[in-house]
Amino acid sequence: MNDDKTLVCRCEEVSLKTIRDTVQQFSCSSREVKLRTRAGMGYCGGRTCRHVIDTIVSDVNQQAVADEVQLSYRPPVRPMTFGVLGGCCHDNESY
Amino acid sequence: MVSLLIIGAGPAGLSAAIAAAEQGLDVKVIDEFSKAGGRLLGQLHQEPNGDWWNGIAMGEKLHQEALRVGVDIQCEVSVFDISRSATGWTVYTSQGMMETRKLLLATGASEIPIPLPGWTLPGVMSIGAAQVMGNVHRVKPGNTCVIIGANVLSMAIANELRLCGIKVKEIILPAAGSISKDAGRPEKVLASLMKLTHLAPTAILRQAGKLGKFVNPSFAIKFFPKKGIKLFDIPIRIKKAAIEIVGDEHATGVRTVAISSEGKEIPGSEKVTEADFVCIAGGLAPMSELASVVGCSFKYVPELGGHVPVHNERMQTNVPNLFVAGNITGVESAKVAMAQGKVAGLSIALESGSTSKEIELLLKVAIEEVRKTRATALMQFQPGIPEAREMVYRQFLLEEQAMKRKESVS
Amino acid sequence: MTMRVINHPVLGKLQERNQITIYFNNQSYQVYEGDTIASAMMAEGIKTLRHHEESGKGRGIYCNIGHCFECRVQVGERKVVRACLTPVSEGMEIHSLTAFKKGDGSHW
Repeated sequence: MNDDKTLVCRCEEVSLKTIRDTVQQFSCSSREVKLRTRAGMGYCGGRTCRHVIDTIVSDVNQQAVADEVQLSYRPPVRPMTFGVLGGCCHDNESY
Repeated sequence: MVSLLIIGAGPAGLSAAIAAAEQGLDVKVIDEFSKAGGRLLGQLHQEPNGDWWNGIAMGEKLHQEALRVGVDIQCEVSVFDISRSATGWTVYTSQGMMETRKLLLATGASEIPIPLPGWTLPGVMSIGAAQVMGNVHRVKPGNTCVIIGANVLSMAIANELRLCGIKVKEIILPAAGSISKDAGRPEKVLASLMKLTHLAPTAILRQAGKLGKFVNPSFAIKFFPKKGIKLFDIPIRIKKAAIEIVGDEHATGVRTVAISSEGKEIPGSEKVTEADFVCIAGGLAPMSELASVVGCSFKYVPELGGHVPVHNERMQTNVPNLFVAGNITGVESAKVAMAQGKVAGLSIALESGSTSKEIELLLKVAIEEVRKTRATALMQFQPGIPEAREMVYRQFLLEEQAMKRKESVS
Repeated sequence: MTMRVINHPVLGKLQERNQITIYFNNQSYQVYEGDTIASAMMAEGIKTLRHHEESGKGRGIYCNIGHCFECRVQVGERKVVRACLTPVSEGMEIHSLTAFKKGDGSHW
């Protein structure tokens, strides 16, 4: 398949080639590949591509996926305005 | 402050809410979607006895039942953080802070994508997206479609799309590779379909399932017709793979190749199947994010769809006052989720000091019901689920014992 | 030809709902109460809801249940919402998000 035309992370438009090359070069974890390439760091918080990133990392490094959640979740787990975070306004959808 | 806050108004969350409220707890359920029902909302398939499983009607029934027993249901609420409080939990949402003694995470599963060139084009969507659009919003995403990924879920939804008046041109595989793994290898796909379909919604798949007892999949794949077999008039072509989704402004079709039993591309076999929209069916994975934020330990269990928070059969996690139910504990059918929800609701009521004498017994029966439902489930997403579940329960015990040892030392 | 599933062999006939007017990129559309922005636009055959900030490539709904954030659109002056989770309302003005222009700080 055409790896540089295959975007894995839709939010940050990171290709399969970039991710695979990075994992190969640095033998890195899902977290490190996220920090290096921004894959999984976009608007959706990696909700869409995290499983694919884990799969690529496990495939390239020839390691089984670990029991810990690979790309840790940190609050806020949804994008929120400072107003909502600060508790001074209630609004479902304002980013 | 409520005694129980449930995140997720799907089959598990609503069933838990009903069970807990019936035991006298004051219960609130929140959900991000505009309607209660969760994944039930899209579901529609025929049972072996010919009856329709109408998820929308079931979701509505649970919703009404929950309201009847006094559950407070609030939709269009997004949770963005959870923290421990002196009395239980504080949940931070788009509609403000909510305080609760016990917390149940019933957030379900999310879909796993299959990235391929062109999949970001408008008109390409997850199979669940098309299901919700057709069955819930009653809008067709297009008149014709191609589905990439042949599994139990994609076949069930293919038929639902057909009922909406959409022509599903074919169900094909993703190209073999490091992303698609076994989902791109016809022999493996056939083997998993044959294993999983002994109770499949269609005669043809049940037949294949029976055949599977006697025939080796690597033998069967040789005889699998190149033009596919038809399920409800929808061609399933597991010897054909998608290599690119084509289109300029939006998807107009899928570029495909013929593949060997192992998934190797057959040179010179490239073709384009035209379609108004394209669905990607990569399977489901438990939504682990909130469990991760509150500090649950996890186990990676492929049979259950990925990372699941460690829990026991009573749906307790190893974090005090935190419970889980439904697909967050492993991907299974909505009926299993409902049965698990009931267990969680009763278990929480028991832990909250419910005075009902029968509650231990009710809980026992409810746990038995989960097992029964699992054994007769129409949709089995993966083989080996009961064994995988036992493994997670054992892990819970191990961690509980380790924790107790630590406490006694200190 | 309508994209609405009016008669469904199992789910039955689509309930009658009130028609309302919404605006998408300044064009008016007659849609129904109970639609989400995403379902209303899909019924009108509009698949592109935004353009990627950097590449400018068109994007539409992907997950349709609020997970992927691909369908975010602007409502009114500055509010950004997920089209798949947001119900339409009478007179709602919706705008596509567009690619950043170099040196243009207007999106920030």
